[in-house]
Amino acid sequence: MDLSSSGIQEPFDLIRLSLSERVFVKLRGDRELTGILHAYDGHMNLIMSDVEETILIVDTDSVPTGQGVLQVAKRKMEMLFVRGDGVILVSPPART
Amino acid sequence: MSFFGLPQHDLEYEKLRFGHGPLREPDGVAVYTWGEESYDGLGDALQEGGDDLNDETFGAVGSIGKDFDFSASALPEDDFLSKSIPPSTSIKGQLSRNEVTQSPPPTQLPRSTSHSLEAIWDDKSPFSVLPRANGANRMSEHQRNSPAPSPPRFSPFGAGTSPLISHQHPIGHGVGHNQQRARTLQEIEAEMLAAVQESRQRELLMLQQRKLLEEEQHMRLLQEQERQKRLFQEQQLQRLLQHQQERTPPPRMMPVSQSPRFLEHPRQILLLQHQQEQQQQQRLQDLQEQLRLEELERRMIAQMTLQQTQNGNQNNLHRQASNLSFAEIQAAQAFHQQQRRQRSRSPAIGNHQILQESVQHHANKVQLQQRLLSEMAQAEFSGDFQAVSQADQEALRAEAMRKIVEAEKMEEKRRKKARYNDLMTQSDKDFITRIQVSQLVTQDPYADDFYAQVYGAILRSRLGLQSQDERVIKFGSGGGVGLGLAQKGGNRRPSAMQRMEQQVERIVSNARKREEEKGLHSIHSLQGALGKTSGRSYKAAPRQLLQVDAGNASPSPTLSPAHIHISKVSVYHEGAAKEAAKLGREALGNAADTHNLVRQDPLSQRQVLTILEKLYDLILSVEQLRRDQPLPEEDEEVFLQWKTEYDGLVDQVWEELRVMIPLETSDPHPFISLLYPTKGKKILPRLTRHLSSARMLTLLTLLVACFHQLDVVNQAPVLDSLVDSTERVDAERQTQAFLGSVMQSILPVVSVANLRLATGLLGLLLDRSDIAAVAQTRPGLALLTLFLSRVEVIKQMAATAPDMSEIPSTEESQQWKLMFDHLFQLLAPHLLLLFPSTRIAQTSISGHPDLPNPTDIADQPVWQFLAALALHAAVEQHQVLVTVLREKVLDNVLSVNKGWVADENERQTKLANVNLFLHALGLDSSQIVM
Repeated sequence: MDLSSSGIQEPFDLIRLSLSERVFVKLRGDRELTGILHAYDGHMNLIMSDVEETILIVDTDSVPTGQGVLQVAKRKMEMLFVRGDGVILVSPPART
Repeated sequence: MSFFGLPQHDLEYEKLRFGHGPLREPDGVAVYTWGEESYDGLGDALQEGGDDLNDETFGAVGSIGKDFDFSASALPEDDFLSKSIPPSTSIKGQLSRNEVTQSPPPTQLPRSTSHSLEAIWDDKSPFSVLPRANGANRMSEHQRNSPAPSPPRFSPFGAGTSPLISHQHPIGHGVGHNQQRARTLQEIEAEMLAAVQESRQRELLMLQQRKLLEEEQHMRLLQEQERQKRLFQEQQLQRLLQHQQERTPPPRMMPVSQSPRFLEHPRQILLLQHQQEQQQQQRLQDLQEQLRLEELERRMIAQMTLQQTQNGNQNNLHRQASNLSFAEIQAAQAFHQQQRRQRSRSPAIGNHQILQESVQHHANKVQLQQRLLSEMAQAEFSGDFQAVSQADQEALRAEAMRKIVEAEKMEEKRRKKARYNDLMTQSDKDFITRIQVSQLVTQDPYADDFYAQVYGAILRSRLGLQSQDERVIKFGSGGGVGLGLAQKGGNRRPSAMQRMEQQVERIVSNARKREEEKGLHSIHSLQGALGKTSGRSYKAAPRQLLQVDAGNASPSPTLSPAHIHISKVSVYHEGAAKEAAKLGREALGNAADTHNLVRQDPLSQRQVLTILEKLYDLILSVEQLRRDQPLPEEDEEVFLQWKTEYDGLVDQVWEELRVMIPLETSDPHPFISLLYPTKGKKILPRLTRHLSSARMLTLLTLLVACFHQLDVVNQAPVLDSLVDSTERVDAERQTQAFLGSVMQSILPVVSVANLRLATGLLGLLLDRSDIAAVAQTRPGLALLTLFLSRVEVIKQMAATAPDMSEIPSTEESQQWKLMFDHLFQLLAPHLLLLFPSTRIAQTSISGHPDLPNPTDIADQPVWQFLAALALHAAVEQHQVLVTVLREKVLDNVLSVNKGWVADENERQTKLANVNLFLHALGLDSSQIVM
């Protein structure tokens, strides 16, 4: 099946396919989300549920040599509104 | 004697005379004997020096002397003069009058002098001026003396007609007479000529002076009036100030207290008014006399002022004086504050004046102030006359102040708000409304307002009212405006909505009319008249890199519901009927016809999602179409058209579901693939609503046949782990979705299935799936329970109502028995494993003692299934069941009876579970003896 027959005409159609599916969202500020996408709009504002947010923290203060220490903070949210200006990418999670 | 008419000349003359005097004295000429016969000799006693300025001195007499003109009252002018004195000076006037009445004798002397003054005022002839200079006595003497010699002398010259000359002459004559002997005729002639000239000059001067005098008189009168007015105003001002200090009720009190603004606290106002009225009545009686006097006086003043001038203010005064009904009341109110004043004038005049001013200048502010004052005054009154305690009075005043401030604030606010009132014309408003409404109009009002519409429908159904099915304004062309939820309550909103609806309809109809006109005129006659124009987007659009065949592709998933996706497998479409038959045969005859098959890769994830999106679009349009369903009896043609459209869409849905694709085409089957995502599972109940029962049967058959391919079956073991992983969460979610959506959608099909179909489906399931594995999943167990309970229902129906058409034949019953035995055989070794609790106990190495809690609930469907199984089982199968499940049952009963389970709920669950099964066997947990 080619792209045209699957009705994909613009990038947003790909996001549309991921509706109510688990998606991976990369955000500015070293943040990543995985959760179920419920809605989106032209600004890439997203509404997600069952979200796990992963925040990458580079701690440069503790080590003076310049080599930062990576810390990962995670948190879970039941429902989340993501403002579109922070979204870098949206993708379906890799299928194993 | 000098006369003021020619002072300079007289000076010269006198100088000359004095110069000559001493010289001529020895001659014995009686130069200084004035009017020889009647000269009283007092002329020497008079100090004649400075007489030349007499006119100036006496000219000012008028202004000076009036105040002291005590004797004047007898004359008619006296009244005029005294009355022209402003009322403000009444105290002074009174004093003077008292003087007049108490001590008449002293006035006699001034009277004689004043008489001459009066004569001046009275007599307008030029003579009147003359005696003023020298006194009346002398004048009379002159008059007496002069006529005798003068007439013959002056007659030839004609100038003698003037009395002035005759007046003047005696001096000259006297002198001339004395000098006559020594002079020549020429000298006399010259003298006479000079005299004539002088007389002429004098005459002119006299005339001028007369005019001046008259003007002066007039001016004085005017000044007097001015002064009166000034004094009046000053007095009024003073009185006003006093009023305010003493908190006398100002004007407008009555109307204000009656104004609607003050109805907020009508009780207080009424009270106050009542008090005031009482006081007023008392005081009014006292004041009647006073008022009448005042009125009289005012009237007189007004009349006089009217006579004197045409001044408008004074007129007002007069008018007001005759029209006292309102003023009297106010005066009465005001009076008690002024009682200590001796002769107070009614404040009505002053108040009236103030009222006028306030109206003229800054009505609002003054009114507010006055209102404030009036309230304060009322508070004061109540305090004074009702003997209200001081505290109450204070409170009342504070309250009044508060209210005033409040009212002022409100007023200010209102004024601020009202500043922009009526800035927009109606057409402006219409224009804006048009813009706003044009934003609301859409092609598909229902879909655009979807959530509000659905929510409204739910709300309405819950409330049980079936007023309107859709809150949408529709227009013929398909556009419309969604109105959202119906407004309940409120009087303004609905009318606003109605107005908007009307406006929208008007706008739309106008637009349509314009469109029609445009269509009539421009398209046919004018199009292309100015040459072709290329649309901006046409030329400016970048050249497309990908040349996609637009005919084959749907422009957008949302906008191409009509497009039918043609998959390669649709080659087999023509044999759909055959396939269906084959499927049916498979289902019923346990035969998998695998020949004539092209294997395919299963649908990819993205394909599944794409198809699902298309399905959602389809189902939305189907649902919309369903809502638009016309009544069949209404219009045959329309209904047929709708039916064709609807059927077409449903056919598309059916195609997209890919149910008719041969069973072995791929693994998993495309239809099963579509059920993988949650949204795939969730769309099924919405789709199946529109499918025919035959199609549903096919769908059910396919589902049963491919049951083992389902993700919920494949991933079921994940649920047996207690580790809280994302996979487990996802699997749990999918299972719930499957049970909630897919099983729900097939339930109505199974619940009407006959025994033959049930047997066939069970057979298909047993044949194609690993029944032990399927039975260990919740969906599998649910499906099996569904079949068993359906057959049980059929059996009972056959037993209770043997005459029904659904009665299974003995052959069918035997077939079912066969199939059930087969199932039992397959399941018997795994019976214990059906329990999630057992499986969990197996997988987790050290069994958590605390964990049976959730598994009891998880076990419930299993107990249900076993009960259903027991119902169908024969006696020997019962024994097998009891033997296998004895441990489990005893375990549960023991844990309950021995009190190992603390929780009451858990005990109940355990017992209920066990009893569920035991009851099917005809036993009860209470029968079990430990």
